[in-house]
Amino acid sequence: MSHHLFLLSPSDTPLYELTHLSSKPSQATPSPLASNLPSWSTSAFAGTLTALSGASSAAQSYHTQGGNVRMGGGKDRHVIQMVANASLDVIEDVMRKENLMYLKSVDKFNEWTVSAFVTPGNMKFVLLHEARNDDGIRSFFLDVWELYVKTMLNPFHTAHTPIRSAVFDARVRASAKKYL
Amino acid sequence: MDPLEFGSLARIRILLLPVGNIKRSFFEQWAAEVRTFESIRLGDIPADTRDDRARFMPSPLASGHIHLSYPSHPLPSSHQTLSLFRPSDFPLGVIGIASSSSSQNESMSSILAQFNAMLSDLFPPGALFPLANNCLVFEESDGSTNLNLGNYPGLVVIPGMMGNKRLYVGTLIADLCSNILAEFATVVQSLESPLGNEYLNATLFPTLPPVSEMPKPIENEPPVRSSLPPLPSQHSQPELLRVRTPTTLSVKRNSSIGPGPPSSPFRQSSLPAPTKKKPLTIGAVSSHGRLFKVLADFFLLAGRTMDASVWYSEAIILLKSSQDSVWHASALEGLATMQVVDAWSSNQMNGTPEGTEPWTEVIEKVVQAAVLYCRSAPPAEPEANFSFVSWFYTRSILRHASLLLAVWASKGWGPMTFAMLLHGSTATLPPTLSQESESTSNGSKRVSYNSAERLSSITGITRSAISSVVAQAHGPWLLHLGSRERIFILENVAAIYSILGYLRKEAYILREVLGCIMDLVVCGREESGGPMVAGAGLGIQGVDLGDSANRGSVGIRTVENVKGNESILRVVKHICRVHGIDLEAVRLVASETAESGEAVNDGSEEPETVEEAHGWPELQIGIVREAIAVAEALPDYPAVAQFCLSSLKTLHVVMSHGDQHHFYSTAARALSTARRRGDSRRVDYWSGKPIVSIEILPLPLVRLPIEKPISLLSQKQEGINPILVGKTDPFLYNPRRSLAGQSSTLLVQNEPFDVVITLRNPYIFDLELSKLSLSTAGVAIESKPMALVVPANSFHPVTIAAQALEAGTLTIRGCCVQAPGGATREFLLPLSTDDEESRQARRRSAIDCETGRSKHAGLDSRPFSKKRKRSSATATSTAQHTPKFLQCQVVLEQPLLRIRRTSLTHGAVMLYNGEKSTIRITLENVSSLPVDFVRLTFDDSTIAPAQQALAEGDLSVYDTYETEFDLIHKPVFTWESSSGKHAAEPGEKLVVTVDCFGKVGCTHGIIHVSYSYCHRPRPTLDKPPDTFHTRQLSYPVLVTVYQMLECFNLDILPYSPDTAFLSPEEHRAPLLIGDVDDWCIFSVEVRNTYGIPFEVTFERDQPDASAGQTTTLVPPGSTSRILLPIKKFALPDDEIRQPIPTLSDRQFVVSKSGLSAEQEQLQRELFWYREALLGYVRGKWKETGGTRTGELSLRQLRITQPMLNSTRVEQARLHLALWCHEESTDELKPIPTRAGVYQPPLNELVYLRTKVTNLSKTPRTFTVNFVLDPPQHILFEGVLSDIPVGRLASDEAYEFDTPVTFVACGRFELTAFITDPSSVADRDRLGRSLVKAAVQP
Repeated sequence: MSHHLFLLSPSDTPLYELTHLSSKPSQATPSPLASNLPSWSTSAFAGTLTALSGASSAAQSYHTQGGNVRMGGGKDRHVIQMVANASLDVIEDVMRKENLMYLKSVDKFNEWTVSAFVTPGNMKFVLLHEARNDDGIRSFFLDVWELYVKTMLNPFHTAHTPIRSAVFDARVRASAKKYL
Repeated sequence: MDPLEFGSLARIRILLLPVGNIKRSFFEQWAAEVRTFESIRLGDIPADTRDDRARFMPSPLASGHIHLSYPSHPLPSSHQTLSLFRPSDFPLGVIGIASSSSSQNESMSSILAQFNAMLSDLFPPGALFPLANNCLVFEESDGSTNLNLGNYPGLVVIPGMMGNKRLYVGTLIADLCSNILAEFATVVQSLESPLGNEYLNATLFPTLPPVSEMPKPIENEPPVRSSLPPLPSQHSQPELLRVRTPTTLSVKRNSSIGPGPPSSPFRQSSLPAPTKKKPLTIGAVSSHGRLFKVLADFFLLAGRTMDASVWYSEAIILLKSSQDSVWHASALEGLATMQVVDAWSSNQMNGTPEGTEPWTEVIEKVVQAAVLYCRSAPPAEPEANFSFVSWFYTRSILRHASLLLAVWASKGWGPMTFAMLLHGSTATLPPTLSQESESTSNGSKRVSYNSAERLSSITGITRSAISSVVAQAHGPWLLHLGSRERIFILENVAAIYSILGYLRKEAYILREVLGCIMDLVVCGREESGGPMVAGAGLGIQGVDLGDSANRGSVGIRTVENVKGNESILRVVKHICRVHGIDLEAVRLVASETAESGEAVNDGSEEPETVEEAHGWPELQIGIVREAIAVAEALPDYPAVAQFCLSSLKTLHVVMSHGDQHHFYSTAARALSTARRRGDSRRVDYWSGKPIVSIEILPLPLVRLPIEKPISLLSQKQEGINPILVGKTDPFLYNPRRSLAGQSSTLLVQNEPFDVVITLRNPYIFDLELSKLSLSTAGVAIESKPMALVVPANSFHPVTIAAQALEAGTLTIRGCCVQAPGGATREFLLPLSTDDEESRQARRRSAIDCETGRSKHAGLDSRPFSKKRKRSSATATSTAQHTPKFLQCQVVLEQPLLRIRRTSLTHGAVMLYNGEKSTIRITLENVSSLPVDFVRLTFDDSTIAPAQQALAEGDLSVYDTYETEFDLIHKPVFTWESSSGKHAAEPGEKLVVTVDCFGKVGCTHGIIHVSYSYCHRPRPTLDKPPDTFHTRQLSYPVLVTVYQMLECFNLDILPYSPDTAFLSPEEHRAPLLIGDVDDWCIFSVEVRNTYGIPFEVTFERDQPDASAGQTTTLVPPGSTSRILLPIKKFALPDDEIRQPIPTLSDRQFVVSKSGLSAEQEQLQRELFWYREALLGYVRGKWKETGGTRTGELSLRQLRITQPMLNSTRVEQARLHLALWCHEESTDELKPIPTRAGVYQPPLNELVYLRTKVTNLSKTPRTFTVNFVLDPPQHILFEGVLSDIPVGRLASDEAYEFDTPVTFVACGRFELTAFITDPSSVADRDRLGRSLVKAAVQP
C-alpha cells in the first residue's frame, strides 16, 4: 500500500513530494468489473488511456496477488500527479465551506482516496491513499504542518520556494512511518 | 452517439435519414423541424383497433405522452444483442427525408428504392428493430407540382405549396408512433410464447432469432424486402417456430457508418453471433421476470406509466428472487425513469411541485441499480458481457450524476429539472448556468463560485457530491468498453465536470478522451493506408477524420480533412490551458504574405519581469509532450511546431535541457515537413522579444557629415579666433549643454551605414533566425535581411548594413525577425524616455508586489488569467502613450575627398624652434559631386594645455595675455585661405599649402580639411535650407621641435659711450650712434644648447631711427651677449594707462592680485613698453652652413623698472659737461675726454655745465641736485641741491655753470638729477646725468 504526499503552493506548484510505501496490506478489493481486463491496444495513446483510467495499476495488483506494493514511478507516477492535481478542484471547492484545515477523504478517484490539509497560507497538503486511516492521516498532517511552519520561519523561504531541506524530508518520512 | 439523457429509457428513438439527392442544409432544416416534436400526446396517436396490435395502444382519452428523440445514426451492430434488454437504445422507427424538386424530376419510386436500400444497408437483416419507417418527400420549390405521385406505401409527399406543414408532419409522426406501438404488441406476442420466453431467458443478453425464421434468406430476395414495409410480414406466429439457419449472420458489412477500427481486438470479441452456440439449451428454467421487464419497458416507451409501474414491480420481485441482477438493475432504472416521466407529465398538467427532496426515491433506485451492475459478475461468455455490464454500470452512474446535476442546475425539483432530465442532456449547459457564462465574455467558461454555491445551497446538493458520484464511473472497467462507448462515457463525464466548474478533472478526463480518439486514429491509419476510420470523433462535435482520398496504387496525395484535426487540437489546447500552459502563445498565421499586423512593443513581453511559476512543472511537461504527440499523430505539422514553440516560450524556465533541445528540434523538423507538404500556415515568431538594443554606428570620420549654418559661407572673417572661444557659459554645471550635444545622428544619402542590433537568446540551444532586417519609417532604405544564429544563453550583437535612398528623417523602429519556417514579426524598440521608464517601473513594482504573495490561488494564478486582471486595472493609464523611436537625419549626397599625397614623409615634420616650413597636401575628389568649399582648421598638442590653463583662470593677467598671444599669433599651423582655388570637380585634384611653425612643446598636430558641395542646384524654389553639411578629412602630423637657442638675461641700460669701447672691435660698429642721450642699450644673452653653431641676428626697426642690426655666431654650448642700441622712445600717457588687454572674449575676471593703484599702473606701463620694445627688436637665427632660418622669440623675457626707465625718453633731460677756461682766449672750452671720461686738470677751476631741457609737452618747473663723489675732494661754489631752474616751456632749455675744483687726483663721478617740486611722483621720469672725470697730476 502506498501513500503519496504533495505539498502544493497556492499556484499549484509542488514544493515537496513524498511517496511512502507502507508495510500494511492493501484492504481495498478491486471491483469485479475491474477484473479480466482485455489487453487493449498497442499505441502509445492507448497506454496513456490505460494508465489514466487506473487500469494498469488494477491489472498489476490483480495479477500480482501477493505483492500489494505499487511503485510510484514511470507512467503511474504521472497518473498519481494528475489525480492529485485534479483533486484540487474539489479541495478548492470544499475548503471554502469547511472551516477545518483537515479535509478528510475529500475526493475519490480510481482506487485513490484523497485527503487534504489546507494551511492558513493556502498551502495544500494532498495525500493520496487507498485505505481509510483518518486519525493516522490527521496526525501525519499535523506533523507535516508543524515541520512546514518551521521551514517557513526561514526568511528566505517564500510560499513558492521548493522545499529541499534534508531535515524536513527525513522528519516527514519518519512521521509517515509512524502514522501511515 | 446521442448525448446522455436521464430519460432515454422512456424515449422512442426515431432515426432521421437523408434519402437520395438532398442538400445538407435542406435536410438539416427539415430534420430540425421534425425534432421539434419531442413529445406527442397519447390522445393524438391514431389507434390501431386490430386485436393483436392494440395492446400498447393508448386508451382513448388517456393522459400522457410519448417521448421521442431523433438520433441521426443507428446503434452499432455490436449492440444488437441488447435489443430485448434495452430496446430504448435502438431506433424504433425510421424517417427518411427526401427532397423532390421539379428540376431533378426524380421519380418517387427511385426515392423509395433508395430509402429501402439504405434501410437494408443500415440494419442487419436479422435485426429486431426498426419496427416502422416512413419516408417524407419535401418539395423544394413550389412551382409546378409533380403530381405523378402514384401510390407508394411508406412514402409521403409533402407538396411545397402546402400550408402548415408542421401540423402535417406532426400527424405523420403520430402515425409512425402508432405503427411502432402496434409492432410492440407483435414482439411481445412472440416473446409470450413458451419458446420465446426460453429465448429470452437463454443468455444474459438474449436475442430473438428472427432472421432464421424467415421463409427465405434475405439476400436471395432483396427487391421484395425493399418494396415492402419489412416488419409486419416478418413477425407472425408460425414463422417464429421455424428452425433457424444461422448462415446469414456471417454477412459482414463493408461500408460502415459505425465507429471504431474495423478490426480492433475488442470489436472482434464483441461481435455477437458467430460464437454463440445452442442458446436453447440453457433456457430450461425460465421465470417470467424478464418477460415482465420487457413488457414494462415497452409500456414505458408507450407512455403508459401505470402499466409500466405494475409490470416493473412484478419483474423486480421475480428477478430479485432469481438473482438476475443485471435485469433487476435495469428494471430499477426503468422504474426510476418512470417516476421522472410521471413527475414531468403531472407537472405539466397541474404545475404543482411535490414535497421536499422528492428525488431521493429516484436516486435510491438508481444507486441500487448501479450497485447491482457493479456486483454482477457475468457468469458466462465473459468477454462480451463484461463490456455490456460495464457499459450499463457506467451509464447508470452517469444517470445518477445527471439527475443530481439536473436538480442542482435547475434549482430543485421543478419543471425545468424534468425537462432537462427528459429532453436535455449533459452536453447542454443548464439555463441557469448558461446565462451567466455568456455574460462572462470570451475566456473561461468556468462557473463562478458564487453562482455554484447558490445552487448548492438551494438544492442541498454540493458540487463535490456530484463529482464523487461521477468519479465512480471512472475506473479500469472503461477498458472493457468499445471505443465508441468509452468515448461516449468519458465525454459525458468531462461535460459534467465542466458544468461543475471542475476544470482540472475535466482536463484529466479529456486526456483520456484524446487517448481514445488518437488510438483510433493511429490504429486506423496503421491498418488501412487509405480511408481512415470514419466517425472516430463521434463524441467530439464536428470531428470527422474522414479521408476522402481515393486509394490508388501510386502517388496519390491524400487531401486531409483538417476540420476534425482542428477540434481535436482545440481539446488539446483546452487541457493545456487548464494546466497553465498557453499553447497558443505563439500564433499560427495564415500564410507567409500575411504579416502579423501589430508589432510588439508592449511591456508584457519584457523578459526581465520574473513570472512566477504556475502549475505542476512535471505534469506540464508531460502534457505538452502528449499534446505534441497528438499533433504529430494527426498529423498537423504546423500545430506541432506551434505547440513546441509555445511551450518553449512559456515553460523554458522549468524545462530540462534535453527537453528544450528536443522541442526545438521537433519544431524545426515539423516546420520543414509542413513546408514540404505545402502547408500555407506559418508559425508566428515565437521567441519572446529577441531585440535588446539598437544603435546606429557613427559613420567613419571621413564620411561623417557635419552640420554648419549657412551663414558661415557669407561671413568672411570671424571676429574671434575659434581657438579662444573658451567657456562663455557662466554656469559651472549646465544640464542643457549635455542635451544640446545629443543631436540626431547624421547619415548620408546613398552611402552605407551600419546598425548594431543586440539580440538575446535565453534558451540553451543556438537560436537560428532565418531573417533579420530593420524596420524603419521615414525615408526609404535599402538593406539586405540577414540570417544568423544566436548562440545559446547569450547576448549577441549583430551589424546590419543599410543604405538610405533619399534624404530626410529616418526612424528606426525596431527589427523584423523571422525564425525558420515562421512568419515575420516586427519588434519595436522605443527609446526609453522618462515617461516610459516610470511606466515600466510602476508596472514592474506592481508585479513585484504580487510575487511572493498568493493573491490568486489555484486556477486564478495561471499567468493569463492573472494578466487579465492586472491589465484591466492599468489599461487606462497606458492608452495615451506614444513611443519614441531612434531617429537619424539623412542628408543629401555629399562629395568625398581623399588625401592623394602630402609633402611629408611618414607624416612627420622636424623643425627648429621658430622655424617655418610648408606642407603641401594634395586632395583628390573621388565622388561624382564637385567640391566648392574647402576650409582648413588645425589642432596641435600645444593648444589644449594652453586652453586648459586659460580655462582654469589661475594665471595672472600678464600670463594670460602671453598665453593668448601665443595661441593666436603664433599657431603651429597656418593656412592662407585666400590663395589658391577651393573647388574641385569630380576626379580633380586640389592642392592646399599649410605653413608649419616650430613651437617648442608641440609634438603632434592635426590638419582638418572641411569641404562641402554647398552651392548645389536646388530643384525647387523653396526657401534654401539654413544649414549645409561639410565633411572633414583629417591628416595627423607628427611634429618634432628642437629647442636650440635660449634668450635670457635681458637688460636695458642707459647708453654710455664706454659701452661701445668695451665691446670687441667687430661688434662696435652697430653700437656707434649719434646722440648718446637719445639711446639706450638693449642687451640679451643667447645660449646655444644645440649641437651646431647658429648665427644670431637682432634687428632694430624703429620708426624714427635708422635700422640697425647686430649679428653674432653662437657656438654650441656657449652663450653670447647681444648688444643693440635702441633709441629711447616714449608712449603717450593714455596708451600706457590702458589695462592689459585680453585677446579672447573671455568674461572679465576680477583680478585676484591685491595690487595698489600705483603698482597696477606700473605693471601696465611695463607691459606696454615691453610690447613696443618687442615690436622694435626682432631676433633671427640662421643655421651656419645651412639654409634654415627662423625667428628667435623674445616673448619669454620680462623687463623691470630700471630697464623701463632706461628705455623711456625722460620728461626733462639733464646734460652735464665739464668746461674750463682756455688760457689764451679766456673762452670756455670743453675739457677733452678720453673714452668718455673727462680729464680735468688738478686744482683748477672747471665749470660743470648743466643743461636742462624740458622734453614734456607742458611747461614745467624744475630744480637740479648734484651729487659729487667723493665730495671731500671737490670744492664747489654755491649750493648743490635744489638749484632752481625756473619754469621751462616745452622744449626750452636752460643752461647754467657750476664752478668746481678737483683738489685731489683720482676718479670722480659727478651726478645730477632733476626734480620737479610740483610732482614728486614723477621723479623717475625726469632725467639724470653722470659724468666721470679722471684727474691726473
